[in-house]
Amino acid sequence: MWGKGLVAGLKVTWGHWFGKKETVYYPEEKLPMTERFRGGHLVLDDKKCIACKLCAMGCPNAALDLTVSVDEEKKRHMDSYKHQIGRCMYCDLCIEACPVKALSWDKNYEFASYFKEDMTYDAVVEAKNRRGNDE
Amino acid sequence: MAQTEKFVLNMGPQHPSTHGVLQVQVELDGENIVGATPVMGYLHRGIEKLMESRTYVQCVPYTDRLDYVSAMNNNLGFCMAVEKLANIEVPRRAEYIRVICAELNRIASHHVFIGSLTNDLGSATGMIYAFRDREKILDLFNIICGARMTAHYIRIGGVAADAQEEFLRDTQKFIDYVPAMLDEYDRIFTGNEIFQARMQNTSIITKEDALKYSMSGPNIRASGIDYDIRKIDKYGAYGDFDFEIPLGKQGDNWDRYIVRLKEIQQSANIIQQALDNLPEGPYMAKVPKVLKPPKGDAYHRVENTRGELGFYIVSDGSTKPYRVHIRRPSIVNLQALDTMCRGMLLADAVTAFATIDPLMGEVDC
Repeated sequence: MWGKGLVAGLKVTWGHWFGKKETVYYPEEKLPMTERFRGGHLVLDDKKCIACKLCAMGCPNAALDLTVSVDEEKKRHMDSYKHQIGRCMYCDLCIEACPVKALSWDKNYEFASYFKEDMTYDAVVEAKNRRGNDE
Repeated sequence: MAQTEKFVLNMGPQHPSTHGVLQVQVELDGENIVGATPVMGYLHRGIEKLMESRTYVQCVPYTDRLDYVSAMNNNLGFCMAVEKLANIEVPRRAEYIRVICAELNRIASHHVFIGSLTNDLGSATGMIYAFRDREKILDLFNIICGARMTAHYIRIGGVAADAQEEFLRDTQKFIDYVPAMLDEYDRIFTGNEIFQARMQNTSIITKEDALKYSMSGPNIRASGIDYDIRKIDKYGAYGDFDFEIPLGKQGDNWDRYIVRLKEIQQSANIIQQALDNLPEGPYMAKVPKVLKPPKGDAYHRVENTRGELGFYIVSDGSTKPYRVHIRRPSIVNLQALDTMCRGMLLADAVTAFATIDPLMGEVDC
């Protein structure tokens, strides 16, 4: 009979009226991010970092702009660690390149900004701020 | 006396049913289509050229951006081509995990097909059902690699990280859910008389036409030609699995839908077999930090969701490929659009775009 399929389809739809909800009320309710989630700002552990620049060399899009200085004892220091979010593909190659595991993602997915300037940040400054807050 | 004349209607590049930025110049005689010319290039990023200035490892994330709803299969194609070039043996466990991810991605991509098809036919509700289930797969990808679409999980020599218990458990849960999911699709879409009337006997591609246009993937199989690279080449671990290739009868829109629906079940069967027999061992081969494949070239093809995806790589012995050419199925399949639309009504053009399932990221590359 013509129309039988339509009724069967409507029954499915009506069945879901009483079913469990599939969505969450964002932004009041947020989904937890997974352990391997790639996104947000780069968290630099500036105590661990040896300023070898391997992360910048591994980046396919040259999204990392690093400034390194060498002190009197010939020790390398990361002065600034500029990450341009607009260029970043979140491919994880920088984090995987790090020999001392000093890099990680902050797993924040709410980093949309109104201005282009806000899409560049300095991970060294953020690391210092974080330490300042902790102390 | 009133006179009529043909006129050209531009569909796209900003039309919701052209799936991205495809422009189609439809030549109309009243309501009937007498010609359809796809105009491409709006999403061209020059990925082939970009790859020439990146190392082999750095090229992999760019393949995510080709067919962006089926990123795992693109990763797989490129990585296997490089492995062929550099003679890298991939561990067995990695091969199995690759198959699981590639097949999951095939299902997710077919969800996009079903969702966009029903949406284009006027049923926005249908899209929600398909996308609800696709979300389950994307969540699985989020667990295993931390990204939902641009996975960058399959790497040269294996996979980025081992599959966790959580991922394997949730994949099993999803595979158990597949029969109920397909049953629901049958009740809501396949049995729907309006859906059938719009799809059956429209935009037919005959076997001869399909061969003439070098079509591949579900589109050629819907025309009744048994052509699946997974069976022909048995690349990776595909030789270990027992699965069928669903075929269509006459190559109309309906067949193209049914073939994809059946493929979801077959992909689920492959994943089940891979989960049951997942070997232990390393997930990554020993790949040198600075990869310099020997001078020469290699071509490797995989069965992508949309057809035969091939990577031709020329190496000059340095860390970067000298030349990369990508044989993208979407652009080749799109050739059939004119034949599919000719003689149909304007409303059927939308169905033809949807069932040919082009992905503009891959068409323009």
